[in-house]
Amino acid sequence: MSGSPKPSIRLAGLRKTFVLQHRHAGSLKAAMLSIFRPPRLERREVLRGIDLEILPGETVAVVGRNGSGKSTLLSLVARVYKPTSGEVTVNGTVAPLLELGAGFHPDLTGVENVELYGAILGLGRREIQAQFDSIVRFAFDRPDLAEKIDTPLRNYSDGMKMRLGFSIAVHTDPAILLVDEVLAVGDEAFQHKCLDKIAEFQERGKTILFVSHDMVMVRRVAHRVVWLQDGVVLRDGPTADVVDAYMVEPGPSAVAVASPG
Amino acid sequence: MRHLTAELAEVWRFRALFLQLVRRDLKVRYKNSKLGFVWSIAPPLMQVACITFAFKNATTFAANFDSYSAYVLAAMIPWTYFQTAVLDSSQSILMMYGVIRKVYMPREIIPLATSVSNFIHFAMSWLVFFAYLVFYLRAPLLPTLIWFPVLVLAQFFLVTAASLVVSCLNVFYEDVKYIVTVLFNLGLFVLPIMYLPEQVLHSPTMRSLWGGWAARIYMWNPLAVLISGYRKCMLEAPHPSVLGGNAAAPFDPGSVLAILGVSFVALVLSYVFFNARKWRFVERP
Repeated sequence: MSGSPKPSIRLAGLRKTFVLQHRHAGSLKAAMLSIFRPPRLERREVLRGIDLEILPGETVAVVGRNGSGKSTLLSLVARVYKPTSGEVTVNGTVAPLLELGAGFHPDLTGVENVELYGAILGLGRREIQAQFDSIVRFAFDRPDLAEKIDTPLRNYSDGMKMRLGFSIAVHTDPAILLVDEVLAVGDEAFQHKCLDKIAEFQERGKTILFVSHDMVMVRRVAHRVVWLQDGVVLRDGPTADVVDAYMVEPGPSAVAVASPG
Repeated sequence: MRHLTAELAEVWRFRALFLQLVRRDLKVRYKNSKLGFVWSIAPPLMQVACITFAFKNATTFAANFDSYSAYVLAAMIPWTYFQTAVLDSSQSILMMYGVIRKVYMPREIIPLATSVSNFIHFAMSWLVFFAYLVFYLRAPLLPTLIWFPVLVLAQFFLVTAASLVVSCLNVFYEDVKYIVTVLFNLGLFVLPIMYLPEQVLHSPTMRSLWGGWAARIYMWNPLAVLISGYRKCMLEAPHPSVLGGNAAAPFDPGSVLAILGVSFVALVLSYVFFNARKWRFVERP
């Protein structure tokens, strides 16, 4: 890899082990009572040594059946988890697309939520104010929707919240966009806009890492596909090759394609 | 210690988000009514009015006690701050759970923001107290008032320490907020809010209990020390007849410095406690 540009995301020997408690003491009372009967711990190795380099401008899809470690991988890149061992190096700002506007507050207006959500994604107040009109225009293209921006969020439908959340995330202008199964939000017209926005990101040389079970979407958007199985990279290569191999894989992975989520 | 300063530097890097969270808490708090701040300070004021009514009529000590209502109010404001800040923070991390599962941020800024927004409300509540003191009771401002900011700072440390511990525990154990609520109900009676700590210390039962140790342990409670400190630095001592002929102990700057030190140590320890657990909040495969 010498001579090539500095990777956007570099994973080296990345491992993640979760410690699961059988009979988890969900209450302080139960925890006190179980002092004399220590809970049985199970270690589950979800990622077992991942080496991966993603270059600036690449759109990489991570596929694999449920439980293969896709979401864990994304969470480690987002720095939400700490690696058990190995290294995650990220060059540039990362913006994850949140599901369904997590982080919105129902009692605050759309305007106030845009400020809060922007801050969660790392924007300062001035940056948000500069982008504000563009965020609202992207989310609510109809005037009857746009005038709701000054009312509390509890008056919004789920679809409107999703639109607003997506709009803020793409307006943070990150170097790296992380997408976990939320590309298909809103009605068909809005989905189309999302795909356009993704295409615009790609043209501007942004890095996109996304997880999906939707092979149509993967074929359409990704340059490269990483196939995870049991916490290791099974295949890594151009989209068509890996997706073709993944689709003909018999057994559980075929089931996973049929029932996403 | 180096480790802790690195964590604090990370918090500083996220100060814009921290300020937004404080703004959000205050907006939500004052938004649900037209009267905003006035409405949110009404419950403790009504509590003070009812306690004054009950004690003035039912007890001789309060009946002879001219500034009894000011004494109750001076205890109720810090007590309400402690309660609401700790209860709010117990929910704070769970309320942001959907966010911290997806986005990185130093997790301590969530309970810290709750603590600071409650502190701002607390500071404004004292304005009501001083207005009552100066314009209604026409009481003089005492020179010991210079210790007031030290007490406020000590209480901020103590509340933040409790908020960090409770917010963290509540992520793992769902009954923490119920346990805290029960303790708070007891606190209204155990703490010197409706009465003076001297009444406990001078009571014959407490003096003979455990060879006098019961009375000493009573004043180990940092909230009792704080409440007593607030009253003594702002209000004139009650007439000895209130305490059955005994003079109240004078304001003691030593106890204020001691509580400041204890609260600061509690804050550092609770931050260590929080940091040791904060990465496990969202860890589920």
